Amino acid sequence: MQNSASAQQIEQDVLAAMSRPSRCYLACILLAGLLFLGGMALWGRQIALGMGVAGISHPVGWGVYITDFVFWVGIAHSGTLISAVLYIFRARFRTSFNRAAEAMTLFALMVAGLFPLIHLGRVWLAYFLFPYPNQRQLWVNFRSPLVWDVFAVSTYMLVSLVFFYIGLLPDLAIVARRRPGPVGKIYRLLTLGWVGSSQQWRHYAKLYFLLAAFATPLVASVHSIVSWDFAVSIVPGWHTTIFAPYFVAGAILSGTAMVITLVIPMRRLLRLEAYIPVTHIEAIAKILLLTSLIVSFAYIVEQGLAFYSGNLFEMEQFRFRALGDYRLLFWIMISCNSLLPMTLFVGRLRRNLAYLFVLSLLVNVGMWLERFVIVVTSLARDFDPYAWGNYTPSLTEIGITAGSFGLFFLLFLLFIKVLPVLSITELKER
Amino acid sequence: MHDSKLSAGGCYSLLLILAATIGLIEYGGLIDQQGSLLITLTFWSAVIQGAVAVAALTALVRAQWIASLRRELLALYPLLLLLALLFALLWPQLDLFPWSDQPTIWLNRPFFMGRNLTSLLLTFLAGRQLALHSTSGAPFKDRYAVVYLLTFVLSQSLVGFDWLMSAAYPWISTMFGLYFFTEALYAGIAVAGLAMLLYFRPRQQIAPKQTARHLRDVGLLLFGFSILWAGLFFAQFLLIWYANLPEEVHFVTERLASSPERELCWLFLLGLFLTPFVTLLGSEAKGDLRFVSAVSLLVLTGLFAERLFILLPAIPHHGGALLLYNGLLFIMLLLVLHSSERLLPQASSERDDTP
Repeated sequence: MQNSASAQQIEQDVLAAMSRPSRCYLACILLAGLLFLGGMALWGRQIALGMGVAGISHPVGWGVYITDFVFWVGIAHSGTLISAVLYIFRARFRTSFNRAAEAMTLFALMVAGLFPLIHLGRVWLAYFLFPYPNQRQLWVNFRSPLVWDVFAVSTYMLVSLVFFYIGLLPDLAIVARRRPGPVGKIYRLLTLGWVGSSQQWRHYAKLYFLLAAFATPLVASVHSIVSWDFAVSIVPGWHTTIFAPYFVAGAILSGTAMVITLVIPMRRLLRLEAYIPVTHIEAIAKILLLTSLIVSFAYIVEQGLAFYSGNLFEMEQFRFRALGDYRLLFWIMISCNSLLPMTLFVGRLRRNLAYLFVLSLLVNVGMWLERFVIVVTSLARDFDPYAWGNYTPSLTEIGITAGSFGLFFLLFLLFIKVLPVLSITELKER
Repeated sequence: MHDSKLSAGGCYSLLLILAATIGLIEYGGLIDQQGSLLITLTFWSAVIQGAVAVAALTALVRAQWIASLRRELLALYPLLLLLALLFALLWPQLDLFPWSDQPTIWLNRPFFMGRNLTSLLLTFLAGRQLALHSTSGAPFKDRYAVVYLLTFVLSQSLVGFDWLMSAAYPWISTMFGLYFFTEALYAGIAVAGLAMLLYFRPRQQIAPKQTARHLRDVGLLLFGFSILWAGLFFAQFLLIWYANLPEEVHFVTERLASSPERELCWLFLLGLFLTPFVTLLGSEAKGDLRFVSAVSLLVLTGLFAERLFILLPAIPHHGGALLLYNGLLFIMLLLVLHSSERLLPQASSERDDTP
């Protein structure tokens, strides 16, 4: 009887988050919406006037748009990873984060998918990326990792969507049961006939585990492929074998930071403190610390081996990163991604939510800068000194980047009012 | 029965005798080619440090996988000292490395010996503290686990960069450090699989369900690590192949063009990926002692073959000495595993974490 009462309470508390929006929520929606619209307007301006409004030019042909793409793909890749890996390892604290992390994955993928189009300039020719039969006998270059990206990211999007949706089914049935009228009918339709029979649960458990097991190596492979966009070239600073695991670890670091950024305010605004205890946030802070250590290890190895090798171009590239024109960004990156997360060795700081929130924001800044430093500095200082040149992002690029954050937060804010932000069924099991 | 097991004092004495014997063979004029000791060390450092690291990792994350074997893995800590002793014996053999006659800031004899010996001793001290505190149930063992894992990563990275990569100087691969500490963890799980061979039946009589679950966990971890290993191997190989730079690709082509390296390549691909992946794909195989222990042995064989693949073209060796050293160390490993109850008497390491 008591169990049943607490199960009812869980349903009530989690679904309360989907009730009438507060003023604070509406203000957030407005702000995110304005940012998004501003970004769209600037993209429209770029389409109308041409790529000249962006700062990218020879020799830095990849700038903020590619940085944004890698950043958002990184955020996207860690969401499902956190959810799937923690499920496989039977980590109980997963229930506090999995739904938000999976939703974050999908929204970040949507945002990331825009950037190759924005970078393309003539966006109406985007279909050239796909290998389709055509009269001009054009065919994509399958040896290019950019094409691998198209396949890898779209496969990942599909698997993440299925993983997210399958996990939602029992909760959708609960929402349908509790919501009368036409809204309830829509939710009922979305449950795909879920009635919660023992046979359905058996199939559900098998499928969910299978998808988690499938998603985990897929995540690693997809971000490895993103790293190969750079590493298969012979550009100094890009062609390095550690890139795949380094990018995967970086993706988990930034994604974990983003989960913390989203969950801490969400927990307070939606009054979910009882279901997202501090101990769970501390556990995810430990993951942040671990991945920060791996990323720091990669920083040290990259820098160290450039000088170990005695290769002039590599040495110059890493000297330029640390001491050249972009040194300020480099040292902010080191501070945010390596030095500040070390403070999480102190247990008290891991349990201080305000500190964790600020730290997660700084890690996000650091991870964005990491991608910027990797993308830009290597192109700015290639082999030939006569072809060297610096890059400064234009206002259009900065505005579109801000717009991408607007879109991401807008989608997430809409999500918390449309779907249960925590897995009700898993909370009941917990 | 109890007499056949080593005490802590007996174990350390035996380690000293073993190190002295190897030293005598190396420097007593019994062999004409040095290099076997280096090859042996690159393999056993992964096995021993990796086994203790697996125990540290599972203790840290409160994992129940292989919890019943944690004491056996931690009991290997005295062998960490053996690694340091054997490494010290390498001091007069640094001519084996191509950089020895053109030292650099990083690669010069005193610094090379100093940093590696320090990291090996730190790993031993951290491993010892972890093992002793884990079994006494004392607080702060998490801290020792963290310290051990940090020293383990440092030490295995140095194994990758200093012992293996610098043998092909100036060839580089930034993946080497991460690749070798991941491999060491894989080797540690394989040691757990071998320990299962010794302890499965006696433990099954006491706690059949738990023992069967832990056997399955070892199988699952071996399977998972085979995929992880393949991913890292592929990520490293693909970039070298794709860029096709002469200064990079020669490392692979010269090994694939000659025998026995070509055959060794197939052997380690079979041992580290193909066999564990195919064999343990099915659910039943993961819970079968014969499969799990055979795969564990094959993983260790694959690991050894990979060390040979990397070092043989660069480092001379004496076949008999290589066989003897590895045989002696294998016997020592089994002896320590067999003596774990005496080496770490209070078996609370697995009990204190069990809910």
